[in-house]
Amino acid sequence: MAQLQADSLTLAYDKVTIVDELSLEIPTGEVSIIVGANGCGKSTLLRALSRLLKPAGGQVLLNGADIHSRPAKEVARQLGLLPQTPNAPDGITVRELIGRGRYPHQGLFKRFSAEDEAAVARAMEMTGTTELAERAVDELSGGQRQRVWIAMALAQETELLLLDEPTTYLDVAHQLEVLDVISELNRTRGITVVIVLHDLNLAARYADHLVALKDGKIYAAGHPTEVVTEQTVKSVFGMPSRVIPDPVAGTPLVLPIGRHRVLRTETVLAARGIYRAEQNGATVVAEEEELVGAGVAVGSAGSPAGTGAASTFEPAPALGGVRPNLEHQSTLAFATTVLRCKQLAPNFRRITLTGSDLEHFGTNSHPLDMRIKLMLPPAGGQLPALVQQLRPQAGTDPETQGRWFLQWRELPDAERGYMRTYTVRDFRPAGHAKNSGTTPELDIDFVVHGHKVDGVFRGGPATEFCVNAAAGDDVLILGPNNQLNDADYGGIEFRPGNATRVLLAGDETAAPAICSILESLPSTVTGHALIEVPDSTDILGTTTRSGVSVQWLPRGTNAHGTLLSTALRQIVAIPAAGAVQTTAEPDDVDVDTQLLWETGEGSSGPFYAWIAGEAGTVKELRRYLVRDAGLDRKQVAFMGYWRAGRSEN
Amino acid sequence: MTRPAPRTRARMRTRRDALIWAALILLGATLAVLYVLAGREPLPLDEVAAVLRGETVPGTSFILLEDRAPRLVVGALAGAGFGASGALFQRWLGNPLASPDVIGVGYGASAAAIIAMVYFHAQGPLLTLTAMLGGLGIAGLIYWLSAGGKHAGAKLILAGLAIGGMLQSLIQYLLTRTDVRTAGEALRWLTGSLAPSTWERAAVMAIGLALVALLVPLVLKRLKIMELGDDAASALGLNVLASRMLLVFTAVTLTAIPVAVTGPLAFVAFLAGPLSAGLTRGVIRVPLAALIGAVLVLGANFIAANLFSGVALPVGVVTGIFGAPFLLWVLVRANSRGNGG
Repeated sequence: MAQLQADSLTLAYDKVTIVDELSLEIPTGEVSIIVGANGCGKSTLLRALSRLLKPAGGQVLLNGADIHSRPAKEVARQLGLLPQTPNAPDGITVRELIGRGRYPHQGLFKRFSAEDEAAVARAMEMTGTTELAERAVDELSGGQRQRVWIAMALAQETELLLLDEPTTYLDVAHQLEVLDVISELNRTRGITVVIVLHDLNLAARYADHLVALKDGKIYAAGHPTEVVTEQTVKSVFGMPSRVIPDPVAGTPLVLPIGRHRVLRTETVLAARGIYRAEQNGATVVAEEEELVGAGVAVGSAGSPAGTGAASTFEPAPALGGVRPNLEHQSTLAFATTVLRCKQLAPNFRRITLTGSDLEHFGTNSHPLDMRIKLMLPPAGGQLPALVQQLRPQAGTDPETQGRWFLQWRELPDAERGYMRTYTVRDFRPAGHAKNSGTTPELDIDFVVHGHKVDGVFRGGPATEFCVNAAAGDDVLILGPNNQLNDADYGGIEFRPGNATRVLLAGDETAAPAICSILESLPSTVTGHALIEVPDSTDILGTTTRSGVSVQWLPRGTNAHGTLLSTALRQIVAIPAAGAVQTTAEPDDVDVDTQLLWETGEGSSGPFYAWIAGEAGTVKELRRYLVRDAGLDRKQVAFMGYWRAGRSEN
Repeated sequence: MTRPAPRTRARMRTRRDALIWAALILLGATLAVLYVLAGREPLPLDEVAAVLRGETVPGTSFILLEDRAPRLVVGALAGAGFGASGALFQRWLGNPLASPDVIGVGYGASAAAIIAMVYFHAQGPLLTLTAMLGGLGIAGLIYWLSAGGKHAGAKLILAGLAIGGMLQSLIQYLLTRTDVRTAGEALRWLTGSLAPSTWERAAVMAIGLALVALLVPLVLKRLKIMELGDDAASALGLNVLASRMLLVFTAVTLTAIPVAVTGPLAFVAFLAGPLSAGLTRGVIRVPLAALIGAVLVLGANFIAANLFSGVALPVGVVTGIFGAPFLLWVLVRANSRGNGG
């Protein structure tokens, strides 16, 4: 039996390496199928295996000998190849074409022999093309034509048959027809088959041995059930998917998950004439009256553990003197510049910040509902040096620096400036597909509250900043140092654990966080997202590949939170009496003086809820979910982002 | 109605091919006889018969033996060479536009012949050799310009069209530099004509073409594999590069040898291949295309001599006039099938 193997094969076109040091043994007498994304090198590999391409390094061994050390005709008697797009000459008949497969068996002056005739007849019989013998190849259907080509390769009478995407351009029935023919040849004649194939599901069904190629290297190889996993599909094709057993063949079946799932709510909204203002836009945040201390807020407003206060400052080594902030400050001050401002909707405005400081920003994970601090200088003044010296390149003494926040709090109002909390809507490092610049970009969505007095906009400092911001303005933010933080960063609260059903609810200030979370959710998660916004024009639309359905609730003249509360009650019903023991009344929190901030410590339950927004509303929802619906508080995060009638600080 | 069994149908095809061959040979012979006996200045049948018996008939002997007969022989040989050459190129590249007269190989041979004749006073076999080298040189240049990549065939044709245009200009320039007498004769390199036919030239052509014809079976065997595409051909164990060289050499030589005598007879190479495919309702047949090329030239020769009573047109003008519409038809058809140029 003919044996084919590749030995640390390196293949290149014009010095561009396509396949790198690849070793592969083709199992004799089996069907091997090579899969991989476009440009992964699978066709190149097949060309090299069939002697069409001379390797830049390594070798292909046919029966133990370098395939290039032997004459082409001799190799062609042992190994047949059907290229991707062979060319059928105009007007040629099926028999003539198949007969050309005999070329390697013919001598210089030898005519077509009886042996050749017999080989052609056998090839036609095996592929079911005998009936077509005298027909012109151009008149045949795609499937018939492909069978004729396979017959030509069979007439070559080789023990090895290599096929490069034999099902391209065929409809599904013809794809199966072709693969069935090949499969039968393997079963009945014992021909060793190697196929390059696009379709993963067909590959899984027909392969005895599956090779997944990625960037010119073997990512996985083995029986299809071992190779075709969600992880392989994700890595090799960069595509999220579900893999289930094929109900027909029992082999793995890949169900791709597209990136743009049209949400049901969107259809409903469209029927009412409401369209999203921006393709990817999400929403709002915070306005001036925020209570939440986060990141650096050191629990000053009674923030419970878990808001990030505890992890804000690493225990400083007992070293005197100044050290670079990058090494020990888990929260840094980032000097940024406004790149662009975009009015997403009447009440929402997106500010995109950029700057080289941001190269040190982040948690090396999806930002989810990550909070950051916007540091605004006092009217007509500068931010105090205390804040400025937290920049990445600056240095501070780890010993004393931990106290900067308290020191800052004690500064007189006129010097201190303002600290306002927002959530990150999106963070795009340089090189991100949607960031064409050379420095990272940070999106913050603002809720615009306020009004014009004598033609001048009046509102809180953050709103005024947002409304008046123009490209080129400088702004300082506080956020995580990416050298010292990971996905467990305390400024991120969304901790669904293993939950597969989620409930996200909030008002406009929570909308950017909800939209950001939605973008991160994997396909395995289902549930609901409820977002209450001031007006129907503020509905912006979201993107998610998860099964979470999103509902926007335009408030109109309703009181803040009433629509949210009603919708949430429809989703989380009170269990029938006695079915579940409801929990007792939760501890009372006076939302006017205290921070309502209760975040579960990562539940292992199947359900997880994340509720944020105006503290009064959140408190009301908390009471309902915990007391009436009987949810375990570990499964829920309640966050009062702000309190009506009060401002942050 | 039942389909005939495959065997029977194959036999039927062979019989049909034989009929086609016989009909074409008959047609060619008729055209030759008509040219001698009918049309303008017909030769009386009895005098021709006498000449053929070996008698000397004043006037008729000269016209028949020194003018009309060599013309017919040179015309038939040239047509065969052009036809076979065109069919080889067209089949190899899978495109009817890829014939040597369209892609400039013919003009390459012409230009080289003119230079040899005007500047070096070359004659006979030397002239033929120069034309061959010119054709091969241009073929090499076009091949080099279009080499590599997926659409080498289309690129080769486009590069050939451009080179052909340049060469025509070059030939015209060369003609303006020569004295009037030579220019008059050299004009045949632009239009193509059977006027310079002599027995000596016919002999040079016949020997040259016969030698190259020995290569044709080898080329055809490889061509059958090459036309399946480079990958498929390599997979069948064919040395694609060497086969390609052999094919180009053979095809160019087949066109350059006649060009050295008659100049480029427009569209003969281009027409013969597709006509052979049309007649057999199959692939382009190279030997049949050679026969068709010969018949085409004999037909054009007859028309050229008799179309206008006062003037005898160069044969190349006639093939040009009747070939051009066919080129347009091929372009339109190729366009609607999406495989043009």
